[in-house]
Amino acid sequence: MSTATAKRHKYRIGKMTFLDYALLVVLIILSLMILIPFINVIAISFASQKEYADNPMMLFPKHPTLDAYKALFNDGRILTGFWNTIKILVVGLPLSLFLTSTMAYGLSRDKFPGKKLIFFLVLFTMIFNGGIVPLYLVMKSLHLTGTLWSVILVGSFSAFNMILMMNYFQGLPESLMESARLDGAGEWKILFSIVLPLAAPIMATITLFYGVAFWNGWYDAMIFLRKAEMLPLQNVLRTIIVESSTNVSNASSVDALNKSGFSTGMKMASVFVSMVPIMCFFPMLQKHFAKGVLTGAIKT
Amino acid sequence: MKPAALGPDKKLRARSANPWYKEMWKHRMTYTLLIPGLVWLVLFAYLPMGGLSLAFKHYKANEGIWGSPWVGFENFKYVFRDPTFAQAVWRTLYINIIKLVITFPFPILLALLLNELRMRKTKKLFQTVFTFPQFLSWIIVSGIVINVLSYDGLLNSALQLMGLPTINFLGSENMFLPMLILTDIWKSTGWGAIIFLAAISGIDQDQYESAQIDGASRMQQIFKITLPNILPTVTVMFILNVGGLMSAGFDQIFNLANAATQNVSQVLDVYIYRITFQSSTDFSFSTAVSLFRSLVNMILLLAADRVAKLMGGDGLFR
Repeated sequence: MSTATAKRHKYRIGKMTFLDYALLVVLIILSLMILIPFINVIAISFASQKEYADNPMMLFPKHPTLDAYKALFNDGRILTGFWNTIKILVVGLPLSLFLTSTMAYGLSRDKFPGKKLIFFLVLFTMIFNGGIVPLYLVMKSLHLTGTLWSVILVGSFSAFNMILMMNYFQGLPESLMESARLDGAGEWKILFSIVLPLAAPIMATITLFYGVAFWNGWYDAMIFLRKAEMLPLQNVLRTIIVESSTNVSNASSVDALNKSGFSTGMKMASVFVSMVPIMCFFPMLQKHFAKGVLTGAIKT
Repeated sequence: MKPAALGPDKKLRARSANPWYKEMWKHRMTYTLLIPGLVWLVLFAYLPMGGLSLAFKHYKANEGIWGSPWVGFENFKYVFRDPTFAQAVWRTLYINIIKLVITFPFPILLALLLNELRMRKTKKLFQTVFTFPQFLSWIIVSGIVINVLSYDGLLNSALQLMGLPTINFLGSENMFLPMLILTDIWKSTGWGAIIFLAAISGIDQDQYESAQIDGASRMQQIFKITLPNILPTVTVMFILNVGGLMSAGFDQIFNLANAATQNVSQVLDVYIYRITFQSSTDFSFSTAVSLFRSLVNMILLLAADRVAKLMGGDGLFR
C-alpha cells in the first residue's frame, strides 16, 4: 500500500525523468516550427530590401527599419482595406448579435405551434445550401451586389452560433422570466433586460465568433464587390500577396516583385498588420473558442 | 396520451387542449422575436435554395431566376458530359481523402504529447503557440507560406546551406498535394488537439491510479487507457471530416494555387468559381454543378451522421 501511495505521489508531483525531458524537447522543437515562420515574417518586414536579399533566413534584422511599413501605408490600399473591414464589423456585429439572440431566445421558449418547424428550417441550412451561384443571383436581384451590405448581411447569421446561444438560454432559470412575465413584461423586454444581462459569457463567445468570421472573411467580398476601393482587408491582402506572386516559384522573386510594385518587406508588413488584431484578442479567443467548439461538438 | 395527472402536468394538459390558433395568439410575442431571423433565413438561405431551380431552367438575364423557361435535366446532360467537371470531382475527392488520411492522426499525437507533459504552465504556453495559426485566414497563412516555401525562402535557403537540393514547393504539380498537407498540419494540428485534450481530461483518473499500482508503464497507460477512452471522440471527429470531403479545403487551395499548379488545384469549388465568375457565364450550367455539389454534400453529411450514431457517438444532430 505504501508503494502505491508513493507511486501515486510520484505521478502527481514527481521528479522529471529522462522521458519527461525528451518530451519537453520534442514539444519545444514543434513549437519552434510554428514560431519560426512568424519570426521570419516579422523580421523581414522590419529589414531593408538589401538585407533580405542577402539573408532571407533572418530571424532578427541587423538594421531594423520602418521603410516597408512607410511604403505600405503610403500606398494606402491596406488602409482602405482596414477601413472597410472596420465598417463591416461596426455594422455587422450588432446586426448579427440582434438576429442571433432574438431567434435563439424565441426558440428557447416553451412549446408553441411551429417551433419544431422553425428549428428545422435553421438546422437544415447547416446541411444543405444553395451554393454561391443562386446566392449571387439573389443578391444581384436585391441590388445588394457592389455594396458592403452584401458582405455584412450574408455574414450576419449563423445557424451554429444560434444553436449555441439557444442551448445557453435554455439553461437559464425559467423562474426569472416567469416572474417578469407576471409583472407584465413582454418577451422583448425580458430578452433585453433580463436574459441578455445574464448571458454575458455566451454573448462574448458569439461576438468573438462573428468577429473572427468577419475579420477573416474574403470569399463573399470577392464575389459580391467589384470596386477595389470597397474591398475589405483580407481581399486587399490577397491582391498584395497571392495575386502578385503567382510566379514566385520560377521567376527570381526580385523581378516578380518589381513588376507587382510590392517588395517582400511590404508584403510581410501587410501580413503582420493584418495579424496584429487577432494577436491582441487571442487570449480571449482561445478560451471562448475552445468552450464553444466543445459545447457545439459534444452537446448540440 | 398520458392519463390525467396532478400538479405541473395538469397545466401542460390544459395548455395543449387549446386549439392551435389560440396557442399561436398566446405566443404572438415569441413569433415577433423570430421574425428578424426568419426574414434573414428566407432572403439569404431559402431564396437561394429556391434559386437552385435554375439548374432545371435555361437562364435568361432579362427574365431572372424565376422567369426563365424550364428545360428539365438538359443542363445536367452537359454537366456530366463535361470532362473538366468529372476531373474536378475526382480531384476534390483525391485531394481531400489523401489529406484526411495523412493529417488526421497528428492532432491525436499532439494531444497525447501535451497530456504527458507534467508542467502545467508550460503546457498552457505550448497550447497557445500551437493553436494560434488556426485563427488566421488562409490568406494570411498563404502569405507566410509563400515566404517560407518559395524558391528563395526560409526553407530552401536552409536546405541550400546544408548542401541539400532545393524543393520547388509552390510551383510544381507533384509538390502541390504534399504542400497542402504540410501547410494544413502546420495550421490546424494545434486546434484539433484541443478537442482530443478535452476528451482526455474527461477520463476517470482512478483508471490511471490502479494501472500504476499494477506497475503499468506510461506507454502502456497511453495504449491501454488513454487511447481506448478517447476512441469515441476520434470516431466522431473522423466521420465529421468524411462529411466534408466534397467541400473541404477550398480556402487553402484557392489561396495557395498559382498558374503553375492550375491543373492540379481545380477542385469542385474552384471549378464552380471559375465557370461562374471568370469565364463566359452560363448561370444554368453553374447552378446545375452547384446543385450537384450541395446534394452530394448533404448525402455525405447525413451518412456520416448515421454512421457516427451507429457507432455509439453523438452524431452531428441529436
